[in-house]
Amino acid sequence: MSDEEFPLLSELKKGPWPSFVKEIEKTAEHKPEMKDLLKQLERSYEDKITYWKHGGIVSVKGYGGGVIGRYSFLAKECPGVAEFHTMRVNQPAGYFYTTEALRKICDIWEEYGSGLTNMHGSTGDIILLGTTTHNLQPCFNELAKAGFDLGGSGSALRTPNACVGPARCEFACIDTLELCYDLTMSYQDELHRPMWPYKFKFKISGCPNDCVASKARADFSIIGTWKDSIKIDQEEVKKYAEQGVDIKARVVNNCPTKCMEWDEEKKELRIDDSNCVRCMHCINVLPKALRPGDERGAIILMGGKAPILEGPVMSWVVVPFIKVEPPFEEIKELAENVFEFWDENGKFRERLSELIERVGMMRFLEAVGIEPDPRQIKEPRTNPFYFWKEEDLKPRTDPWEIWRKAEKEM
Amino acid sequence: MSEFDEETKQKVLEKLATKPWSTRDLAKVLQMKKKDVDKICKELIAEGRAAYWSSGSTTYVTTKEKLEEMEEKRR
Ligand code: HEM
Ligand code: SF4
Ligand code: SF4
Repeated sequence: MSDEEFPLLSELKKGPWPSFVKEIEKTAEHKPEMKDLLKQLERSYEDKITYWKHGGIVSVKGYGGGVIGRYSFLAKECPGVAEFHTMRVNQPAGYFYTTEALRKICDIWEEYGSGLTNMHGSTGDIILLGTTTHNLQPCFNELAKAGFDLGGSGSALRTPNACVGPARCEFACIDTLELCYDLTMSYQDELHRPMWPYKFKFKISGCPNDCVASKARADFSIIGTWKDSIKIDQEEVKKYAEQGVDIKARVVNNCPTKCMEWDEEKKELRIDDSNCVRCMHCINVLPKALRPGDERGAIILMGGKAPILEGPVMSWVVVPFIKVEPPFEEIKELAENVFEFWDENGKFRERLSELIERVGMMRFLEAVGIEPDPRQIKEPRTNPFYFWKEEDLKPRTDPWEIWRKAEKEM
Repeated sequence: MSEFDEETKQKVLEKLATKPWSTRDLAKVLQMKKKDVDKICKELIAEGRAAYWSSGSTTYVTTKEKLEEMEEKRR
């Protein structure tokens, strides 16, 4: 490809960083139809408009999702990309592959698709970019033979996703990988046969650092936490201080609830754990000295979403603490209550957060069988809601009566 | 074995032939339970008589014929 032919795209090849334009060019060397992809892209940059048509075909036999249909408006000029569907392939928990498995996926995609991939998409899936309607089924058959399955799309459970958790991260308070795998396998029907009002996402983080950003985009966020005290190794704290870490400035002063104290003389760190909100800041700064406590589980938040136009909505604490141990019955029972209530009451294209907003948290909690709790805060630094029912109130004594009584006694 | 008779399935199929439907709306129009409509649609899809269709982010159900007709128009 000459840079004169695609002057705008050639701008995206400059600089020391990787360039998707260069990668498409390389692919075009053995897949000439990929030149049409560059042609359509250049036109898009010129005209400042997308030339992709969305939707249409969704999948392979028996499945209602996993394929994102794309057709070109410029099919005549760019026949190589007239159909350019994306396949979402369910990633293994933690993104661990053998070289053999990776090679297999790539070989299949060289044969049935464009050869372009995105490892991994923001959904967590392996994204295989660009194939024809005709190739969908044979490609899926080969993937299935190699042990892979499609992920979710459309009005379905989307591929559950988790942070790498205990596989590689010392902060993990729960087995994110096991839980993610379990939910994926438990809800295969919900994942592959979309019948819900709209999409639904589970995302699981091992600790409040929330590396999968579940709070900002999952309808059902599961985040590892602990109940007891942060574990302190005072010797290690001292070492940090000796190595020049300004404990007061960097740790104590940045604690959001100001529940830490630094004894400069004794070189001792104290934490009032009853006021700690498990923000992870101090642990992140002093990982050798501080550790999450031993009584571990998860906090469940609901109603997060990240729509493109309105911006993200944070999920809302629903279960302040829950045990996370196989077979995860408690979590699944709750999830199924939520599915049921949402499927029954959600309007077309209404996510869980909008439903909760519309019917109110009180009705929602009642429906899914959870007691209101003052820790069910919606966002940091706000008071929790509280609600009451008429019949819960004690009859109020008329103040005049009290005053009259007091007068008499005087 | 289907828990629904062919007549009920036909009723659903006739509606599906008109356009892609969300099963929610279809249940309202047919005055049936959404859960039943969901099940019937899944059966019809498994039998190859109905098919999923997507707007990109939202999934609908229609007949196999309607889907083919719409795919043809997309090309
Ligand atoms: C006739 C006397 C008063 C009337 C009619 C009145 C009315 C109200 C109303 C309607 C609100 C809004 C409540 C809401 O947010 O839903 C309010 C809030 C408030 N009032 Fe009064 N008030 C009176 C006297 C007082 C007095 C004597 C004080 C303090 C000594 C006071 C302190 C406040 C405060 C601090 C708030 C804001 C509470 C918040 O942040 O939610 N009010 N008042
Ligand atoms: S969310 Fe916590 S446990 Fe998971 S990878 Fe991030 S820091 Fe580690
Ligand atoms: S985790 Fe956050 S709130 Fe808790 S003590 Fe550390 S900095 Fe403070």
